[in-house]
Amino acid sequence: MPTLDIDNLGASYGGNTVLRGVTMALRTGEVMSLIGPSGSGKSTLLRVLVGLLVPDHGRVVVDGAPVNYANKQSVRALRERCAIVFQQYNLFQNMNVLENVAVTPVRIRKRPRREVEAEAMALLARVGLGDKIRSYPDELSGGQQQRVAIARALALKPEFLFLDEITAALDPELVSDVLDVIRGLANDGMTMLIVSHEMAFVREISDRVVFMADGLVVETGTPTEIFDHPQMPRTRDFVGKILRH
Amino acid sequence: MDYRFHFGQIFTSLPFLMGGALLSLEIAVLAFFGGMVIGTAGAAAVTLGSPALRRIARAYIVFFTNTPQLVQIFFLFFVLPDAGIVLDPLQAVLLGMTLNAGAYLTEIQRAGFTSVRQTELDAAAVLGMSTWQSIRYVILPHVVRTLFAPLSNHFILMVLGTSMAAVFGVDELTGRAYSINAETFRSLEVFSVTAILYVLITIAASMVLALAGRALFRVRMKFV
Repeated sequence: MPTLDIDNLGASYGGNTVLRGVTMALRTGEVMSLIGPSGSGKSTLLRVLVGLLVPDHGRVVVDGAPVNYANKQSVRALRERCAIVFQQYNLFQNMNVLENVAVTPVRIRKRPRREVEAEAMALLARVGLGDKIRSYPDELSGGQQQRVAIARALALKPEFLFLDEITAALDPELVSDVLDVIRGLANDGMTMLIVSHEMAFVREISDRVVFMADGLVVETGTPTEIFDHPQMPRTRDFVGKILRH
Repeated sequence: MDYRFHFGQIFTSLPFLMGGALLSLEIAVLAFFGGMVIGTAGAAAVTLGSPALRRIARAYIVFFTNTPQLVQIFFLFFVLPDAGIVLDPLQAVLLGMTLNAGAYLTEIQRAGFTSVRQTELDAAAVLGMSTWQSIRYVILPHVVRTLFAPLSNHFILMVLGTSMAAVFGVDELTGRAYSINAETFRSLEVFSVTAILYVLITIAASMVLALAGRALFRVRMKFV
């Protein structure tokens, strides 16, 4: 049963067309990864999905209901169901770790603070930061900040989790801690759309892999299909370059 | 130099001087907060306003940051009466310092407005915050934290700047020191004690501001 349908989605940045009609579907419990060269529109697709960039054309349908990105109510309703983690963590610098995770459930969704904080502490323990709840973002390493950002996203209890190159800004030795957290989420059945350059990780964790280039989906398949038996020349070219790497 | 210190008369006048110091602080506080109101509006105009509004704000800043404050106050005190607006010395000093502070505080706050990171705003948006909620929970705390130290420094400068009021006969710390000097001719003693009082006020103000900054906004500031 497909729950997030993307149909002929197009978007542009200041006159530059970045997405030229992307069509794909994300099913419940599925981990789907977007790969492709820089500028292929992977991150832009995630930005459009969460309403940070209004699409030029096309539709996004969540559980049968189309999202109207020009309508604040519609976008807000969408954001109650999905969460995104950015490459640059984007934590609130003026809040400590616990506040970063709890601020939205408490202030925006008006849930009881005590209950939210208990959940937040459980989430932070899960990402290995149970002892850092009073620290501020600038006191943490990049990997720790990214794990806070993941906990902040999970505190929203999202049905869809979008991860935008979340390990790209991290020092290599910090990457594995973050990926371990994502692995745990995948095992728990979280529906995820992942943009990543960690090909070994993509291959291991994904149910399906989407190869994008020039704002279009070139090929979709299982990790084995995409990495071992790519059908399209562009996919073959890209995968060949990476594997030689 | 054969000089005998006579602090006796100065010490008996100490309460008088301290009363003056209190007035100095009052002038600085009033002008600072008046300047903050102008500065916030000015920074909003410069960063978010229409081209015409920006030009007006820029002209105001250019004028007030490139002319001496004393000249600005002379202007208010001696020129405005020609237009039928008569200000007493304290009013002229307060208005002049407020307008001057408004220009500098516009510049300081503009830096704060532009330092808000788009990434944090993106995060706030996707977490479901409305524009007002982003301002309340993300932008304002960030701006306050960024600006606390430079604003504090400007306040200290303004405390010292209040001594200009003596020129207009305002009875603040320097004005009172000037009066005592005229009566006693113990210039060295009078102005030494006055200088020490200024140092004490500014140190006290710096400490209060630094402690408040640490406690409220997690600003790391040196005490003095």
